[in-house]
Amino acid sequence: MTEKTGKLTLRDVVLSLLLPGLGHLARGWWGKALLFLGALLLFGVTLGLAVAKGRLAWLAGPSDYWFSTVMMFIVLAATWALALFDMHRMHRARATEQYSFGYWSMASRRFSRDPKGIVGLLIIFLAVHIAVFAPFLTSGHSFKGVPGYYKPVQHAIKMDLRNFRSAPSSEHPLGTDNYGRDVLDRLIFGTRVALGIGAVATLLNMLLGGFLGLLGGYFRGVSDAVLMRILEVINSVPFLVLVLLVRGLWIEGGILSIMLILGIFGLQPARIIRSEVLSVREEDYVTAARAIGVPTWRIILKYVLPNAIASLMVVTTMSIGVNIIVVAGLSFLGFGVSEPTPSWGAMLQEAQEYMRTAWWMAVYPGLCIVSTVFGFNILGDSLRDVLDPRLK
Amino acid sequence: MVGYTLRRLIQVVFTLFALTVLVFVLLKLMPGDPAVVMAGIGAELEVIEGIREELGLNRPWPVQYWRFISGLFTGRLQAMTYHRSVWAVIFLRLPATVELGFFALIIALVVSIPAGLLSAIYRNSVLDYSVTTIALIGISIPVFWFALMLMLIFGVFLRILPVSGRGMSIALFGQQWLRVSFVTWSGFRHMIIPSVALSSVLMAMNARLTRASMLEVLRQEYVTTARAKGLKERVVLVKHAFRNALAPVVTNVGLQVGTLIAGAVLTETTTAWPGIGRLMIEAISRRDQAVVFGLALFIAAFFLISYVLVDLLYAYIDPRITYD
Repeated sequence: MTEKTGKLTLRDVVLSLLLPGLGHLARGWWGKALLFLGALLLFGVTLGLAVAKGRLAWLAGPSDYWFSTVMMFIVLAATWALALFDMHRMHRARATEQYSFGYWSMASRRFSRDPKGIVGLLIIFLAVHIAVFAPFLTSGHSFKGVPGYYKPVQHAIKMDLRNFRSAPSSEHPLGTDNYGRDVLDRLIFGTRVALGIGAVATLLNMLLGGFLGLLGGYFRGVSDAVLMRILEVINSVPFLVLVLLVRGLWIEGGILSIMLILGIFGLQPARIIRSEVLSVREEDYVTAARAIGVPTWRIILKYVLPNAIASLMVVTTMSIGVNIIVVAGLSFLGFGVSEPTPSWGAMLQEAQEYMRTAWWMAVYPGLCIVSTVFGFNILGDSLRDVLDPRLK
Repeated sequence: MVGYTLRRLIQVVFTLFALTVLVFVLLKLMPGDPAVVMAGIGAELEVIEGIREELGLNRPWPVQYWRFISGLFTGRLQAMTYHRSVWAVIFLRLPATVELGFFALIIALVVSIPAGLLSAIYRNSVLDYSVTTIALIGISIPVFWFALMLMLIFGVFLRILPVSGRGMSIALFGQQWLRVSFVTWSGFRHMIIPSVALSSVLMAMNARLTRASMLEVLRQEYVTTARAKGLKERVVLVKHAFRNALAPVVTNVGLQVGTLIAGAVLTETTTAWPGIGRLMIEAISRRDQAVVFGLALFIAAFFLISYVLVDLLYAYIDPRITYD
């Protein structure tokens, strides 16, 4: 049994900052310690690999990847923040000896007992680590090829026409593609592209859709009518077809343009937030707040948003998966990430032509898509169970 | 009810109008010129100009828009890169997609409804866990990759199914827009891979939906009452639960038209199935503005009208719902 000191001591803060989960471990909170430490163990191993192979500067990569890379580091920073916040919360609970049975603590207790959520988190953490440390996991570092080439992507991008479509071997564990590029290396860099686009597009969806849904749901009237009409027009053709049309006029734009197109047109969250806000604004406590003259922005921040946050979390998780699939579909049709940037969808497009001779080109990129999207879906599923116990 | 239907239909017309404007502007902003595509490589500038003149591409946008709209209504709008009218192009391709979508839907329902029901009845059993896990994997699989894998396994490795194409098809009653392929052995064999691939997502979605809906119904008081008065479990399930659980599933099928069409675009491209999904991709890459415009309008109209029908069907199935 650990002592019941209330204060968050300096030692705990330092431990948590040092390694998320270390503070938990020191306190004997095993479950959470394992979760955070497990994530960071991966981080450490891959970072060690990075140092061992020499170049930390590789992390940034060529300009194509900077955006995705930044996103990945944000995710890692979030791990730290979460661990620290969790420490703080548990300390407070001990201090006041009031074990909170509020919504969030109940939810987090349910979540830590749900194997689905943990599996999802693990898959996502794995994918994020592969994405961040991509340059150190690829075989390109040992390539003594053209000088001036960005080394880690040598095998992923540089063509080697003597070795085209060679079957999996010790040199190329997953074989090579039609231009002799290493399939494994391309998959590893493809993780950056897929996760980067998926995360950024979803972030935009949430900001834009969340804002519009809030506006429409809370203020009703004209803004609501306009929002609903826009949604109706956008929803009247399948999302993929709409994105294809918009992408047609901005085909040169690279990864950033795909992020923007998906981010702007994926307005589905707006509908969900709107319906959530619509039901919350009729609650008595909102009416009461309005009656005593609480300013509108405060009502929204304090009463409306916290109530919508649960469904927002579920939608966010699920739509990262959806966006990854849409990007893969776009690239598969030739309207997505363009050569030579490796992306899972485009790899499948290429594989289609050579299916009779090179099965490895078709199998592995798909497995990557399925497992990553599965991670997000299973996490979203678990979050839904956890955050909305009525559905259980 | 009639008033409601009318109001909805008027709304549909306005939405379609806004959509056509949006699609038109997108098409006009798109780089690339259908005249250049038509004239072919290395054509003279005069030839290209002539084609532009002929297609009306050098007229102001509002005039061109009006040409498109009125042309679609009179049926005289010519496709730019196909030597047919837009409707002829679409209706020649439509039966393949309808056939594919129909079979995908049937396969999906036949598998997913029993799976969902059983998994709800035997909740938390091994069966339930496997169904929910498989369904979760199912919604994570991109249809085009699933199609590729089926092609690889059954077409390349086992060599028991044809890899792509539509096989032999027969025009029923001599009508081209009734050309179906499932009636011939070769056509039927060609259809298996694309329709199974297309059904995968629907299958997963419907299994999850059926399970959730059945669980909801089993919690209702009338089910408890039925059990309490000593009815056999089989009677409770069949007479009281199934019917109510299936209502949302059946109506939701109408809402899945969008998923079906988006899936068709990908599946048809993968398996070289000559339907409207593949036509869409073809027309966009050939910059055939007239066909893309007509196709977008057609898909959207189909979509929106099926939404209205779903609402009406829902009110019909569940008398508690009224719209006025």
